[in-house]
Amino acid sequence: MRNVAIVGAGQTHHARRRTDVSQIGLAREAVTRALEDAELTMDDIDSVVVCTGPVLFAAVNQPEKWLVDAIGARLKPVVRVTSGGGTGLAGALAAVNQVRAGFADRVLVVAYDKLSEGALQYSISTLYDPFWGREFAVGIMGFSAAYWRARIDALGHSEEAAAQVAVKNRKNAMLNPYAHVKKPVTVEDVLNSRPLCWPIKLLDVPPISDGACAVVLASEDAAKTATDPAWIRGMAYYSEAENAAHRSMVQSEPLTIAAGRVYQQAGITNPRRQVDVVEVQEPYTCFELSYYEGLGLCAPGGAADLISSGATEMDGDIPVNPSGGCMGANPIGATALIRLAEIAQQVRGRAGDHQISDARTGLMQAGGGWANLRGVAVVSNTKG
Amino acid sequence: MSDSLLTGIDDAQVLDANIALPYTLTTGRAAGTFLAGLGDKRILASRCDTCARTMTPAQDYCNRCGEPSGEFLSMPETGTVTAITRTESVTLALIRIDGSDTDLMHRLSSGGPAADVGTRVRAVWADTPTQSMLDLDCFTPDDSGAEPGTPSPTGDIEPITEIPYAIDLAYRHSYGPHYGRLFDELATRRRILGSKCPQCRNVLVPPREFCDICFVRTAQHVDVADTGVLQAFSIIHMEFVGQTRKPPYVYAEIVLDGSATRLIHTVGGHDVDTLKERLSIGMPVRAVWKDAADTRGTLDDIDHFAPVFEQLP
Amino acid sequence: MGTNTLERVAVVASAQTTLRESWSSLQHVDLIGSAVSSALRGTGLRMQDVDVVIDCGSDVLDGRSISNCGFLGAMGAHHKEESRVEEDGLFGALYGTTKVASGSASVALIVAYSKPSESSVSAYYSTLTDPFYQRALGLDHVGAAGLMANQYLTTSDADEEALLRIAAEAWRKAGNNPWVETATVPTLADIESSPYVADPVRGLQLSRPVDGAVAVLLATEQVAHRLTERPVWITGMGTAMESHFLADRKPGELEACQAAAAMATRRAGISDVGSFGLAEVSGTSAAGEAMVVEALGLAHRGRAVDCYEDGASVSVNPSGGALPADPIMATGLVRLHEAAARLAGRLGDEAATTALVHGAGGLGMQNHCVFTLEV
Ligand SMILES: [Zn+2]
Ligand SMILES: [Zn+2]
Repeated sequence: MRNVAIVGAGQTHHARRRTDVSQIGLAREAVTRALEDAELTMDDIDSVVVCTGPVLFAAVNQPEKWLVDAIGARLKPVVRVTSGGGTGLAGALAAVNQVRAGFADRVLVVAYDKLSEGALQYSISTLYDPFWGREFAVGIMGFSAAYWRARIDALGHSEEAAAQVAVKNRKNAMLNPYAHVKKPVTVEDVLNSRPLCWPIKLLDVPPISDGACAVVLASEDAAKTATDPAWIRGMAYYSEAENAAHRSMVQSEPLTIAAGRVYQQAGITNPRRQVDVVEVQEPYTCFELSYYEGLGLCAPGGAADLISSGATEMDGDIPVNPSGGCMGANPIGATALIRLAEIAQQVRGRAGDHQISDARTGLMQAGGGWANLRGVAVVSNTKG
Repeated sequence: MSDSLLTGIDDAQVLDANIALPYTLTTGRAAGTFLAGLGDKRILASRCDTCARTMTPAQDYCNRCGEPSGEFLSMPETGTVTAITRTESVTLALIRIDGSDTDLMHRLSSGGPAADVGTRVRAVWADTPTQSMLDLDCFTPDDSGAEPGTPSPTGDIEPITEIPYAIDLAYRHSYGPHYGRLFDELATRRRILGSKCPQCRNVLVPPREFCDICFVRTAQHVDVADTGVLQAFSIIHMEFVGQTRKPPYVYAEIVLDGSATRLIHTVGGHDVDTLKERLSIGMPVRAVWKDAADTRGTLDDIDHFAPVFEQLP
Repeated sequence: MGTNTLERVAVVASAQTTLRESWSSLQHVDLIGSAVSSALRGTGLRMQDVDVVIDCGSDVLDGRSISNCGFLGAMGAHHKEESRVEEDGLFGALYGTTKVASGSASVALIVAYSKPSESSVSAYYSTLTDPFYQRALGLDHVGAAGLMANQYLTTSDADEEALLRIAAEAWRKAGNNPWVETATVPTLADIESSPYVADPVRGLQLSRPVDGAVAVLLATEQVAHRLTERPVWITGMGTAMESHFLADRKPGELEACQAAAAMATRRAGISDVGSFGLAEVSGTSAAGEAMVVEALGLAHRGRAVDCYEDGASVSVNPSGGALPADPIMATGLVRLHEAAARLAGRLGDEAATTALVHGAGGLGMQNHCVFTLEV
């Protein structure tokens, strides 16, 4: 298979609401930064993949059709890949395949959402079957809280353990210039915060954000001019029928499958030892605990101990979300690509104040839907 | 079931559904300035210096090279029709505003003299601006024979930054071969139907044509119980647009006895504090049906599921 | 541009449901499941052999956010790699082809579907427009088709008579296509007497929205040779997107379609598009189809109608094309299915050995995708 590298990445300064730019202006900002980072222009780009959340987030159907002019992509291949909250990674995977297949040498992936334009929870509730269950839906939060409650019993993912995730990620976000929530909290603050969908409380929940991210992917030949490419060592995005028989959400099967495939591609047998930095898409704190186990950073039931041990802190042996993760900013359609961009910048040594020293191999996870779409990627500063 | 489904007759039973949502859309500088300009009875263009192109309406980025636009220009309110079509509701035209390098799409006046490609037109302004493209009400044929106007610099215009918007989409969802039967059974017998996979033998609720795991057609409908176990639950405190229950309440995912899939509903019958304290994963629950007079043949005919505390050890 | 030529990828099987104005007795999942199971039938492939599922549908048409998420079981995507390309189905086939060509899948299933009878086609198209300039005017696919047809007639030598003929030929061929359900097949006179919906476009010259689903199986060379005597090879692909603003596109021409065709034929190493045995193209109106035919290089500017004369070198839309049956998100993939089925001889003896396939998405066909095929 042809090697593919990330040769540039950029993101916006995310915000609760950006009133100074339109939806397309927001996306363009990230594109400009990614191209600058890659020292390329749109003339160098063969193909564009656009990712956003569902149309109801911002009232623009197939928004890439509106975006095309603003990024100077007219008459180029432009296509949008959607896949719930993990859409940024699903789009990156489409781009990787375009490069590997020789369809394009350099692909720009741009992912964005301007969530302040609409009513988030209600628009998410329209995921549900209009015949069955939509009337009881509580966005994805009611569902997520319910299975966290189940994991509290089954795996010991206690409210205190999740609160430690909030404390860690919100502390890390202080160092991230693009994050917009920069307020340290304590475990007590989280536990005492207002319940929204108990056990999910206000401080377990990321902000609602306007933001965008863009990444430039290149073939091995095209990456020769890049000084510090981050090589894609593995990438996969798996699905699970949302109401299949005996679906377990205590452990995520599609995550386990995706991680297994990616580790095989990347030659990883012990992620805790072989990976230097991890970024996960934690729409609520409880999910980060679940991902520790799904990604094999600890044994099933070991997540609470892992967070308590400090191993996933910036200075731990397996730092998770040095960027602050979703707790610093969560423009949903962009969030997965932000995670990919963050690990790429880590292994390229371009992560700035939240750089993990000597990061060589990065792991990221993303997902969406009813926790039934799950993707994983590994990048490294060597081709392998 | 089989492919004979595909030759079956149509029935007209549909579920009417609406998706209606409010928005506050951010215009960006160019559209915001353009819309503000319309309120001031002016048509604004943007200029790309790289492409030497004057674009009407104003754009933040050049439609050709994608570079940020330079200065805004105040355009004449006259131009020439380059394309036209009349639909049932509106006459749409592309209009080359005098001095512009691109066309502007807008409406032409209905009634009055007919317009065609090449017709000179001028703007007709709405009486009361509403921060919309329709503050320029339409264009109308201009037989004054006046010389084409020229663009002029624009003074400071405070852009409109946000405009309210709403989406209201209507749907007529087909019941398909399973939901009609399911709801009929709910309404008439208070029975919940599933469909059974002939391969893995699992019963799937709601009933469906294909087993998700085996990808084989399900063979038959079977009744499942209105009792089950609590697979997961959370306590909803937040309020949001479109909510159908008053918080706080218990959101629940239940596996009905005899089925292998999850059902989304609520648990009630006690105050929320009691439920939070006493509910546990795997606990038995039973459906509490609404009065027969209130049944509509939907999942909502079950008022809630009640926990069966006494069965606990 | 990509320096390597594509690895060989073949269409090994495909199927569609009947396309009809309303499948009111069936849901999306029923149409999807039916197309997918029909595509697999008789191939020797089982669902377990499929590595990846790419689907094309629209949340706005379906009335459900990330609607693919609710249809995964019917697509057979459970515990497989799956992604939605929210665009015409031929773009989904492009994704699937790159996935197989890159070596990361042996068999890809592409699914596209629409049930426009459940929703407002006008709302689908009007929500595609920018919310500030175009949407407020009441622009939808009907108005867009009218403006484009007006431009086509204004900027070329074509006349309304030519557009009537193109529509009449489309309906005549659809009348012979068992997969397109038509109560009656309108004649040229019927079309001519149908009222304008957006002049110069008459009602029967606008593509007719229909419900339906289509499924296509793509495979590596190794798998293809095992499954079929006559694999249909994908020899080239190209796509390009036009400017968003309808008022800022080249009048009467489809530059993005030209660019997509140039990319596909260059990759296929084909210099003479007149050498294709058949073409299956998507047009949202008679003028739209004419512009596509010309952009693909099958006819000179303004002379698309020549392709519909007896004895034309390339058989254009033997299926009838998109005018009689436009299952919006599935239209381009239906074209691929029709072309591949013909080349493979699944629709009877077929002389053609090469085909040009076109799909389009967006308002006024903003986005274009072109495939070249060969047996
Ligand atoms: Zn320019
Ligand atoms: Zn089964």
